[in-house]
Amino acid sequence: MTAVLARLDGVARRFGSVQALAGASLEVRAGEVHAVLGENGAGKSTLLSVLGGMLRPDSGTIEVGGERVEFASPRDAWKRGIGLVHQHFTLVPALSGLENLALGRRSSPFRLRRTLEGLRADAESLMDRTGLAVPLDAPVEGLGVGEKQRLEILKVLLRDPSVVVLDEPTAALAPAEVTALFALLRSLAAEARAIVLVAHKIDEVLAVADRVTVLRRGRTTLTELRANVGAEALVRAMIGDPHVYAAALGVDASASHSRPTRTRGAVVATLDDVRACAPSGRLALDGVSLEIARGEIVGIAGVEGNGQRELALILAGRLRATAGSVRLPAGIGFVPQDRSHEGLVGDFDLAENVALALHADARFGGRATLAWAAIRAEAERVRDRFAIVSAGTSTRADMLSGGNQQRLVIGREMLVASDLLVAENPTRGLDVAATAFVHSELRRLTESPAGPGVVLVSSDLDEVLSLSDRVLVAAGGRLIPVPEHARSKQGVGALMLGGARGAA
Amino acid sequence: MARPEQRRIDLGALSVAAGAVVAAGGVGALLLLAGGYEPLGAARAALAGAFGSTEALLSITLVRTVPLVLTGLAVAFAFRAGVWNIGAEGQLLAGAIAAAWVGLAGRALPSWVLVPVLLVLAGCAGALWALIPALMKLRLGVGEVITTLLMSFVAIHLTGWLVHGPLQEPRGIFPQTEAIAEAARLPALVPGTRLHAGAFIAIAAAVAVAWLFVRARIGFRMRAVGASSSAARIAGRIDTGPIVLVAFMGSGALAGLAGGVQVAGVTYALYEGFSPGWGYTAIAVALLAALNPLGVLATALLFGALEAGAAAMQRDAGVPAVWAMAVQALVILAVLALDRLRRRGGGGAARV
Repeated sequence: MTAVLARLDGVARRFGSVQALAGASLEVRAGEVHAVLGENGAGKSTLLSVLGGMLRPDSGTIEVGGERVEFASPRDAWKRGIGLVHQHFTLVPALSGLENLALGRRSSPFRLRRTLEGLRADAESLMDRTGLAVPLDAPVEGLGVGEKQRLEILKVLLRDPSVVVLDEPTAALAPAEVTALFALLRSLAAEARAIVLVAHKIDEVLAVADRVTVLRRGRTTLTELRANVGAEALVRAMIGDPHVYAAALGVDASASHSRPTRTRGAVVATLDDVRACAPSGRLALDGVSLEIARGEIVGIAGVEGNGQRELALILAGRLRATAGSVRLPAGIGFVPQDRSHEGLVGDFDLAENVALALHADARFGGRATLAWAAIRAEAERVRDRFAIVSAGTSTRADMLSGGNQQRLVIGREMLVASDLLVAENPTRGLDVAATAFVHSELRRLTESPAGPGVVLVSSDLDEVLSLSDRVLVAAGGRLIPVPEHARSKQGVGALMLGGARGAA
Repeated sequence: MARPEQRRIDLGALSVAAGAVVAAGGVGALLLLAGGYEPLGAARAALAGAFGSTEALLSITLVRTVPLVLTGLAVAFAFRAGVWNIGAEGQLLAGAIAAAWVGLAGRALPSWVLVPVLLVLAGCAGALWALIPALMKLRLGVGEVITTLLMSFVAIHLTGWLVHGPLQEPRGIFPQTEAIAEAARLPALVPGTRLHAGAFIAIAAAVAVAWLFVRARIGFRMRAVGASSSAARIAGRIDTGPIVLVAFMGSGALAGLAGGVQVAGVTYALYEGFSPGWGYTAIAVALLAALNPLGVLATALLFGALEAGAAAMQRDAGVPAVWAMAVQALVILAVLALDRLRRRGGGGAARV
């Protein structure tokens, strides 16, 4: 029996009217990779915040190394050997990797150089030992997502924690990077640490975890050795409802990785030899040509930062190409990747958020005014049609859960997407039921060749492969069509990485 | 049907405003005690000075409220669009300069021409004064907090130079202009008091700005840009540059109008030290009203009464006016602190 390094027991925490945790437990042991699984809003992040000392629980106990502790701040948790790798990067973009590692460490202001060089020696030996390679001297803003994440992990490991907690670390990684990350986690666990991995993808959990804890609605519904549970049991523990479960699997099970061939509609959008720059001024698209037809779903896969962001913005009419010709239809809907900052105004209510897509439409106002009654009626329809859980159309968008926010964005954009819908990672961060819903909406939209064309930009390969009529890989600012015989996770993954390496 | 704007006059904002006034009053009483003054007597004098008689209410409190309403609206107009124009003071002075010039140069014109021209040009002058920081922000990316503030200093000293030089009264003794033409003056609203037609203009402006935010397309776009410029750009396909420009110019025009109304309604002349800092008090007026245009009417009245009360406290209870100014500052601090507390306790943390 290995040592229990940390134990949370009966932890409860309430935010206003929301009971985020209602008696959750977690026990992690030395030498294990322990996955914490749950849908959005199940309380995973809250539980981690309690373990990391960022939140104090209303009730429940924390034990570290067999001792009752209370964390007043993240610093207390560090001191007890708990290191947290955040889901969102906490790096200063303008500083180098090494300088970022030095942040938060005590050092004399007069000996910065010596401190940095000492830190460099520590970091390099740690990188040698773990195989965790990060450029230390380049400014962080120029690094890729995977590199930034490795830097975050390095930052935590330099404190030599006994428990390493990672919050959804695979969200933005390419398949090969995920494999490398998992290998790293295994080797870290072999050093008698405990690795806590928060995830919502079941296959990842099955691939790497020794034990699994499942949360649902703030409670622990299952803690079991990986060897003793299958995917089905995990899903049931996560969502509880067998009907939702079946619907969710209905989408996932269709991973035969292609759609039946159907007649193509008329071409609605054309890009010809298009170039475009990222906000940093770097050339992000380098000669891209693409035609989108009605009734088809065109999937764009790729490691983030290979031009797909700019491609999506251009197709959505939100970015001007610097060269080449772009022909776009009038009725374009756009589901941006960052729904809370780009898709919605949190301070606005449902109707005002729907108005964001309608305010320029002459049918929803006079010469200078807006017809709020008509807009509100439209918002009411979106709310009904997309089953958005809210008190009414006067509910503020930032009071909605992530899944409901995404329903609102997709519902609104479908109002205007009569010709083309561009969706960027539309199911990122959504739970199983909400993901199934988004997928079925995208399919429904493209049922007939008269429907709009859909461009699906996604870093989730399963999603791209199961929904798309055609798949292209964005790599180094170009688009590579995926031939039918290479249409598999391995095939597309190889193209993604090949291109990414070419770009670097 | 609930309109988006109606629910914005929410209880939370009201209770913050009320709580701030009570808290500041309490601390103000302690301050007075510490200074050896009698708080109840001072408060009685202040209340009487602000509301105690028709004369106090109409000629003192409301007259002081009018420029605060217009400058408060100016600040709210810009802030709602995310433009941090803190230079209403300078824009007000630009408007006052234009108004004084029109009032002096237009002696030959009849009143029905002169008054509208004076007010419109005052607004234009304020807008132009705001155009400089607007262009610096849009073209060069210079933050408006610094530029609008610095432009106020330019306006203050420009005013000083004008009333010592080109616009000085003919005898050349006092640092002020000659009185403007009778035809350029705003009529009294209640005969025998100093309350002038500018009060109507202020109320009309508040209603107009409220309407703009609720009903008008441009108002919606301004609110969207102010609440989240990235969402306005991406989800709303709003070109933020023109919206920011409108926010600057509209804000400047309202502040300029405040200066014009003050010249045409109260002072009839421009002089050194023309504004006792209306443009700065306006920031507190607007924030206390949670940037709600109709709320500005109420908070401007509060600050107008505080100023009237301060004068009375000094006159009748022997309390120096600086004490009232300290209370005013305390109200602002209490608002900021309470608003912060409300956000922390409420919506901010509710998401999981």
